[in-house]
Amino acid sequence: MKNRQKLGVFFTAFTAFQVNVYAATVTGKIAFEGRAPAAETIKMDADASCKLAHPDGAKSEEAVVNSNGTLKNVFVYVKEGVSGKFDAPKESVKFDQHGCQYTPRVLGIQVGQPLEILNSDPTLHNVHSLATKTQQFNLGMPIQGMKLKKTFTAPEIMVKVKCEVHPWMAGYIGVLDHPFFSATGGDGSFSINNLPPGEYVVEAWHEKYGTQTQKVSVAADGDVKELSFQYKAA
Amino acid sequence: MNRLVHSYSKFLSAVTLVLIIAGGLVTSTESGLSVPDWPLSYGQFFPPMVGGIRFEHTHRLIAGIVGILTFVLLGLLLKNEGRGWVKCLGAAAALAVVLQAILGGLTVIYLLPTPVSVAHACLGQTFFSLVVSLVLFTSKEWATAPKIASENSESLKRLLATTFFFVCLQLIAGSVVRHAHGRTLNLHALLAFLIAIHVLFILVRILRDADLQPLVNHVLLLTGLVTLQVFSGGGAYLLTLVIEKAAYPRTSEVLITTAHQSIGAVILATTLLLMLRSFRLLKPTELRTSHE
Ligand SMILES: [Cu+2]
Repeated sequence: MKNRQKLGVFFTAFTAFQVNVYAATVTGKIAFEGRAPAAETIKMDADASCKLAHPDGAKSEEAVVNSNGTLKNVFVYVKEGVSGKFDAPKESVKFDQHGCQYTPRVLGIQVGQPLEILNSDPTLHNVHSLATKTQQFNLGMPIQGMKLKKTFTAPEIMVKVKCEVHPWMAGYIGVLDHPFFSATGGDGSFSINNLPPGEYVVEAWHEKYGTQTQKVSVAADGDVKELSFQYKAA
Repeated sequence: MNRLVHSYSKFLSAVTLVLIIAGGLVTSTESGLSVPDWPLSYGQFFPPMVGGIRFEHTHRLIAGIVGILTFVLLGLLLKNEGRGWVKCLGAAAALAVVLQAILGGLTVIYLLPTPVSVAHACLGQTFFSLVVSLVLFTSKEWATAPKIASENSESLKRLLATTFFFVCLQLIAGSVVRHAHGRTLNLHALLAFLIAIHVLFILVRILRDADLQPLVNHVLLLTGLVTLQVFSGGGAYLLTLVIEKAAYPRTSEVLITTAHQSIGAVILATTLLLMLRSFRLLKPTELRTSHE
C-alpha cells in the first residue's frame, strides 16, 4: 500500500513535469480605451472602523483602470476546449476582508479547492455567497483574524460574494473544473499556463464591462500565444 | 368599560407602525442578512451596531417588544373583555406575532427566499390591521353609537368591501414587487388605479350625503393617503427600477421605498376601519328600499 502511494506520487510528479515541458501559455493584457470612469466614493460612515481604514476616503472598485491604460479585476479563463479531469489543488485560495473591501476583488478557484476566507479587520463581516450552482452560505466573521474554509461543488462564472453588513463590499469568484484561468491585477496582464496543445475559446469577464471571447490555438513545446482584449469606456 | 384595552391597543398600533417602518428599512437597505444567525445575533443579544446590523438588529429588538406587548394585550383581553370574538382576535394577534417571528427566522436561515419575505411582509401588515381593528372594537363608538339611516348605506358598504379586497390584493402585489425586483409591477399599477378610482367614488358618495357626516374625516384621510401613495409609488418606481442602480441603495431610495411600504400599511388599516365602521354605523332608510 505504502509503495503504491509512493509510486503514485512519483507518477503524478512525473506527468506534471511532462505537462510543464510540453505545455503552452496564453498571455496578454486587458486594454482599456477611453476615459476611465470616475470611481464612486463609498461612504463608510456606517462603520467607524471601516472609515478609519480609509483616511482619504474609499473608492468603489467596480471599474479600476490601471495607470498603464489596462483594466484591473478582469477574470480571464478558458471557456471551451479543455478536456480531461483536473484534480483540485490542496492549497487554498486566499480571500481577505481588509479595510472593509475584498482582496482580491476578483479571483479564480477550482471546484473542490478550498477557499480560505480571512477577516483582517477589527470589525465584523459576514460572507454571503450568491452561488447558483453550489449551495449558498451566509456566515458571520465577528472576530479579527478569523478564518473560514469553503469549497464550491460546481463550475460557475461568476459567483458573487457580498457582505451584508457593509453593502458596498462585493467580490467575484470564477469557479472552474480546470486550472486554466487568471485574473488581472495592477498591470492588467494575465497568464494562463500549462495548457495542453489544442484549440481553445478564451473569455475575459469584467463585472461592469461584460465579457469578450477570442479563439486561440496553441501547440506544444512551450508555445506562448499573446491575446489582447480591449474594453471601451461605456 | 374597555378604556384600558382601547388605549393599550392604540399604543400597540403605534409601536407596530414603528416596527413596520423598521422592517421596511431592513428591506430597503438590503440588510436582511446582515445578521447571519437567529434568534441570537452573532451569538449575542447585542452585536456591534455597525452597517446593516443597525437596521436588522433594531428591527429584531422592536419586534421582540411588540411580541411581548401583544401577549400583554391578549392577557388584558382575556381578563377584561366580555365578547368571545374579540378575545379570539387577540389570540389571532398573538398567533400572528409568533408566526411572524418564525418567518423572520426562516428568512435568515434560508437566505431570504422571496416567498418567505413576501409572507413576512403581508403578515406584518395583517397584524397591524388586526391590532388597529381592536382599537375600533373596544371604542365607545362601536359600543354605543346609534345606527345612521342612509339611502347610500348598502351601496357604500359594497363599495368599501370591494375596495378593501383590492387593497388586500395590493398588499400581496406590492410585496412581490418589492421582494422579487419588480415582478407583478403591471398588476400593482392596475390595482393602484382601481383603488384610486374606488376611493374617489367613496369620497364623493360620503361628501354628498349629509347623513354620512361621521365618516367624512375618515374618508378624507384615506383619500390623502392614497394620493400620497400614488406619488411615493411613482418615486419608488423611478428610483429603484428606472435609473441605474448604485453599488448599494441610495438614501433617497431607502426613504421613499420605506415610506411607500409604510403608507401602504396605513392605507390597509384605514380602509379596513372605514369598512368596519360603515358596517357598524350604517343602515338602509326604512321607508323605501335601497334604489340600487
Ligand atoms: Cu463587511
